[in-house]
Amino acid sequence: MTEQEIAAKEKQQVPGQEKTRAGRFFLPGVDIYEFDDSIKLWADMPGVKESDVEVTLKEGVLTIIGTVSTEAYEKLSPLYTEYNVGNYFRQFELNEDVDDKHIGALMRNGVLELTLPKGERAQARRIEVRTG
Amino acid sequence: MALLRFSPDLDPVSNLLTLQTELERFLRNPAIGLGVSGPGDFPPVNIFDDGDGVVVMAEIPGMDPASLNVSGQSHTLTIKGERKRETVGDAAGYHRRERPFGEFSRSVQLPDELDLDKAAARYEAGMLTVRVPKAESAKPRQIAVNPA
Repeated sequence: MTEQEIAAKEKQQVPGQEKTRAGRFFLPGVDIYEFDDSIKLWADMPGVKESDVEVTLKEGVLTIIGTVSTEAYEKLSPLYTEYNVGNYFRQFELNEDVDDKHIGALMRNGVLELTLPKGERAQARRIEVRTG
Repeated sequence: MALLRFSPDLDPVSNLLTLQTELERFLRNPAIGLGVSGPGDFPPVNIFDDGDGVVVMAEIPGMDPASLNVSGQSHTLTIKGERKRETVGDAAGYHRRERPFGEFSRSVQLPDELDLDKAAARYEAGMLTVRVPKAESAKPRQIAVNPA
């Protein structure tokens, strides 16, 4: 059997934060894959709607912010909980040259998918070796 | 019973702080027995009382709603599915792999007086919400007092 064991990961709070806004921020779990012409990033942000995600790239730092709403919890009374909820925040320093004008962002079912196309300089290029 | 109430007059941060404090208070509340599953099992669940029954919420981002299987038998609610990784076949490599994938099946034992036949499930923004109403027989009813 190739069945994979899946376990719930405890949500990680943003470490060493000192923000002007109070409350817990969580680190979204991410996968980052590198392709020949792009880098793709997926971030798990359950509870964040399509309209409530903000992605910025400034001076080589990629910032992801996802905002949750308390709407779904209105008039509920907790009995038992295993996870807390809060806004998501994560930053990455990109050590690749990224074409920041063509970044693709898609938010679907609580997962953010980012496509960061590599700039001309960063694309792997095959260099023709001529035989003389 | 602490009921979560959020005021539209308050800013969202204050509302979120209220919610975070309440969720923290009931973390792994030993007064509720879930049966065989517990913390660490996927997906993580939060359970609430909505006055008319129970609301079970689970964080399962990135699912196709059609592939989520929610069922009830006797007093047990079961959430099943498979979380599949996106297609990365032609990737040159990866830098980070933190997200959990695989098949899961989680059963949660609910109090007796609920009516699982009338449960309704909804999946939005990676959150599964299952509402299970109280059984008719468990609802409070007015008893007429007849004069002698």
